[in-house]
Amino acid sequence: MKPAPFEYFAPTSVEETCALLARYGDDAKILAGGQSLVPLLALRLAQPEVLIDINPVRELDYIQANSDGLSIGAGTRHRTVERSSAVREQFPLLSAGIEWIGHPQIRNRGTVGGSLAHADPAAELPALALALDATFTVIDANGSERTLTSDEFFVSFLTTALGSGELLREISFPAFPAGSGWSFREVALRHGDFALVGVAAIVTLDNTQACSDVRIALFGVGETAVRSRSAEKVLIGQKPDKQVIATAASEIIKDIQPLSDVHATSAYRQYVARNLVEQALTEAIQRAL
Amino acid sequence: MASKKHIIELSVNGVRHEGLVEPRKTLADFLRDDLELTGTHLGCEHGVCGACTVMVNGEAVRSCLMFAVQASGQEITTIEGLATGGKLHPVQEAFWECHGMQCGFCTPGFVMSVYAFLKENPDPKEEEIRPALSGNLCRCTGYQNIVDAVRLAAEKMRETSAVPVPVAVKE
Amino acid sequence: MAISGSVIGNYVGVSVKRVEDPRFLTGQGRYVDDFKFPNMTHAAFLRSPYPHAHITVDASKARAFPGVVAVFTAADLVGVVNPIQIDASLPGSKPLPHTALASDKVRFVGDPIAMVVADSRYIAEDAIELIQVDYDLIPPVPSMDVALDPASAPLYEEAGDNIAYHDTFTCGDLDEAFNAADRVLTETFRQHRYINVPMETRGGVATYDTFTGELTYYVATQAHNAMRFFLGAQLNLPGHRIRVIAPDIGGAFGLKFGVYREDMLVAAAAMQTGRPVKWIEDRRENLTAGGHAREDTLTLEAAVKNDGTILGLKVKMILDAGAYQVTPLNPALFTTIVRMVLPGPYRFLNYAFDATVVTTNKAPYVAYRGPWAVETWVREGLADIIARELGLDPVEVRRKNLITKEEQPYKNALGLAIERISARETLERAVEMADIPHFREEQKRLRADGRVVGFGLATFIEPAPGGADYMAAMGGGKEPAIVKIDPTGHVTAYTTQVPHGQSHETTLAQIVATELGVPFEHVKVVHGDTQMGPFSLFGTGGSRAATMASGAALFATREVKKQVLQIAGAMLEASPDDLEIVNSIVSVRGVPQKAIPLAQIAMLVYLAPANLPPGSPTELIGMYAYDGGEGGWAQATHCCWVEIDPSNGKVEITRYLVVEDCGTMINPAVVEGQVRGGTAQGIGGVLYEHAIYDENGQFLTSTFMDYLVPTATEIPPIEIEHLETPPISPVNFRGVGEGGAICAPPAVVNAISDALSIKITEQPLPPTRILELMGAIPEEK
Repeated sequence: MKPAPFEYFAPTSVEETCALLARYGDDAKILAGGQSLVPLLALRLAQPEVLIDINPVRELDYIQANSDGLSIGAGTRHRTVERSSAVREQFPLLSAGIEWIGHPQIRNRGTVGGSLAHADPAAELPALALALDATFTVIDANGSERTLTSDEFFVSFLTTALGSGELLREISFPAFPAGSGWSFREVALRHGDFALVGVAAIVTLDNTQACSDVRIALFGVGETAVRSRSAEKVLIGQKPDKQVIATAASEIIKDIQPLSDVHATSAYRQYVARNLVEQALTEAIQRAL
Repeated sequence: MASKKHIIELSVNGVRHEGLVEPRKTLADFLRDDLELTGTHLGCEHGVCGACTVMVNGEAVRSCLMFAVQASGQEITTIEGLATGGKLHPVQEAFWECHGMQCGFCTPGFVMSVYAFLKENPDPKEEEIRPALSGNLCRCTGYQNIVDAVRLAAEKMRETSAVPVPVAVKE
Repeated sequence: MAISGSVIGNYVGVSVKRVEDPRFLTGQGRYVDDFKFPNMTHAAFLRSPYPHAHITVDASKARAFPGVVAVFTAADLVGVVNPIQIDASLPGSKPLPHTALASDKVRFVGDPIAMVVADSRYIAEDAIELIQVDYDLIPPVPSMDVALDPASAPLYEEAGDNIAYHDTFTCGDLDEAFNAADRVLTETFRQHRYINVPMETRGGVATYDTFTGELTYYVATQAHNAMRFFLGAQLNLPGHRIRVIAPDIGGAFGLKFGVYREDMLVAAAAMQTGRPVKWIEDRRENLTAGGHAREDTLTLEAAVKNDGTILGLKVKMILDAGAYQVTPLNPALFTTIVRMVLPGPYRFLNYAFDATVVTTNKAPYVAYRGPWAVETWVREGLADIIARELGLDPVEVRRKNLITKEEQPYKNALGLAIERISARETLERAVEMADIPHFREEQKRLRADGRVVGFGLATFIEPAPGGADYMAAMGGGKEPAIVKIDPTGHVTAYTTQVPHGQSHETTLAQIVATELGVPFEHVKVVHGDTQMGPFSLFGTGGSRAATMASGAALFATREVKKQVLQIAGAMLEASPDDLEIVNSIVSVRGVPQKAIPLAQIAMLVYLAPANLPPGSPTELIGMYAYDGGEGGWAQATHCCWVEIDPSNGKVEITRYLVVEDCGTMINPAVVEGQVRGGTAQGIGGVLYEHAIYDENGQFLTSTFMDYLVPTATEIPPIEIEHLETPPISPVNFRGVGEGGAICAPPAVVNAISDALSIKITEQPLPPTRILELMGAIPEEK
């Protein structure tokens, strides 16, 4: 299982990378951690003519945390995020979710930007991005930048809003809302596998202990990760008891279209998603209190 | 049409090597074919089985998911580099004592992964061991003796002072 | 507990550290992909993406590709590689002739159509994309059901349909049994298709000397002599011009027993190009085309009494053999073994067995660790169903049916003598250790809390190697061994075993060292080279080695020991019967001063034979071909406790216990490793592994992302309790390689059935299926 031939470039700056993207456009693919891309190359499911290796672009490797939130360079390794005490303190949901990405050997190479740009609907990071209202800074071949919301960034199966010649540069997470609880739940067949189904949830309670903000992001439930706004609506303004939580969990069916594959049927994913949402909301609320 | 080859320079087990490779040549194939270090094995070539695990700059990595060109300028440690001066590393000793292998094919990958794990987590809790091993597949042992080997290796490594891994030779 | 081999004397029963390990631990193992030869080329195969089609091939563009040495299609190999036809002398079997490369049609996704030989595997794969093939599609035969339909397109026109084999067998008085029955239970068990998946794929390197006409084939094979024998037949090469070398092998579990089309092709390529040719199967090839196992459906009709006694059993078995037979095993053979072993340790004598083998557009059927294992599943599944239907304790049902010690030797339904089995004893010990009544209380309590827990067990015997009559039924092959003492007094033992994880370099040395009286480190075991050592077609597989190879080594050692003692006796002026060898010193028992080192005797024999006493042996070689003696059976009872999460259908094994009896253990750590490894594969088969074809014959699980092998987090710790049937012969070792994989699936399925309180006669049981069986989600389609 050897890849087809390709030309290889290893730029050392964002500028150089953009110049290469300008030159090769659709003929080129960005090589970041390689944990998703290289298997596709080995299976010859992808045969790009040019590979642009951004591992040497050190300026994409950073975590900046301040009171406004968190910015992560697209080239930052999962492991760096996993080990970051700043992330653990300010964004425990992100810390928790990152640990579910594959195995340490994968996290040593895989990058935050790479995983998000790959946009596998069963991956953890896209759902975490949705739950945390992350924004995506994208730079094009001319050096101009634009910012997209998570909803805008994830378009469909393995497809993002990244245009030909565009590079994901940074992902920003606004400050974790005060008074929030969180939960991350995933069901996979084996430890470290892609999810069959998963949930990242954040619940913010006001001083009357009613929900002022709820975010329920699901993965493994369709062509992209999904925020279940129908479920979130049920909880806003409510004091969340078991009944309310159950009702909210039942509403996710309006927002998800899980697929069947060799690992699980859509009926399975639907059923388990509902149970996971119930469990996640319960846990998030516990943490908020 | 084959693509242009690249010259690479890297350190493997403390020894400096040069190579001339097509960009698509994986690090695993470079180690095995060009450097004839055949201890690193190919079990799947798509990043699941872990038989190809090596250390890159001290981190455990699946060498079938890296290209040799990416390893230029890096420090690689393979299974051949673990024993020093003819003496087995404590991880290797532990695997031997615990009967941690049968056919031996997955063993180099496991040893490298365990070595990396214990470097970072020298006193692992029991419930941390199996998850740490879940990135490597074994078909022969049922894993129990490998778990025992991790426990014993941790003990041995805590008892003796850290065994140095060969450092890259400075130019 | 591993012990260093420096314990002098009796190494049998000691968990000696393995001699194989140092090279594996340091990356110095030599597997087939580690071999490099000057001028070596690399082969890759173009494989069919369609399950069933007529084909025409144009390889011209590939031949012209830079770096390509040769491209072969079936047409290029006429007269070079003979057509293949497995021995169809099994009555009821149809010949299924085919060629090494598909000639006019392809019969499964993965069927090899062309072979490219190039300077590198990378280039070979590039060139494959340039081969043009026209596929004229034929309606696929994607399942057993379609294959049984006479209207299905026959894979082999000569066969007329897709029934490759049919045979029936009856014994006893079934009418009487069924008339006397209180209940007749009918159940259909569906065993799914899964795969051996050794960590090392298949592969070989063929080198051919154009001057001497000699082929040397380095290959990951379990049976090097069989490989040599059949390659010779397929390539028209006389035996003495073929050398097969099996180096270190990264596992096999039965997959590497056959002589594959690829083996013939790689060897032919070397002969045709005059250059060494290496082919290493990649994982996608391995999962798609290397061979699959176990897909059988069995329908059982059981005549039972209200107390659980089985009076008679009618079995109808259908085996899905895929598209090709792998030389030399006709898959129909497995149905005959299933037939023979299905009664197992149970008493019933009224028995009918109807077996059908069908061809389908799937990968070839290969043997996988206990290829007859379905018999244990259906029998132990039936026992639990009988318990459920009749309101009995599953343990009691087994007690009602298990052959007792007093009844042995017991002539079973097939006329096979069942003797010295301790299946019942393993059950009783397991029941003792399991404390089932306590579990039942726990279960009640937990169920009230909404938790889903269950317990299941299974008992089996396996022919390891089977009794004398069973071995005769299997062809009665003897296992040879040679033990030589060299001029320095060290020992080399030659075996026809081909270890690939079984530790024979260690276990056979333990036996030889113990029997001879030399330190363990003084013995070297040589294996895998047809040029060295004796001939046996069997190689390693079938749980034979512990008895056959150990016995052969033991008796061969006795032969050479006789020679040593004869010489020593003359030199020490004592009777050989009064001599002993301890730590390589031959001495008169009780008179340590009257001693000679073994090394001195060896030196005399080889370097100064004139100084030997008259009539002395002139060399120190012991040779023995062992017939297995009275052979024997291995047995075990497996107990499995599960908890199922009703919110997601995941099954957790919370405790797993094996009570096994394989006779005397040569190396307990090795025995336990085999039991745990086999059990892990059995668990994997039930919960994680499934080789899936869709209704169009497309193969869906060709990577490790789709075909899931259990990791350390999915396999529980396995407790093992050993029983040892008292020896009556010096060869009291029974095989244990396959037992875990045979007995684990029924234990796990029975536990799940108990947890869900429903009857289960299917595998696999992934979370989706669990929730469907629980009625929590609707079934798809």
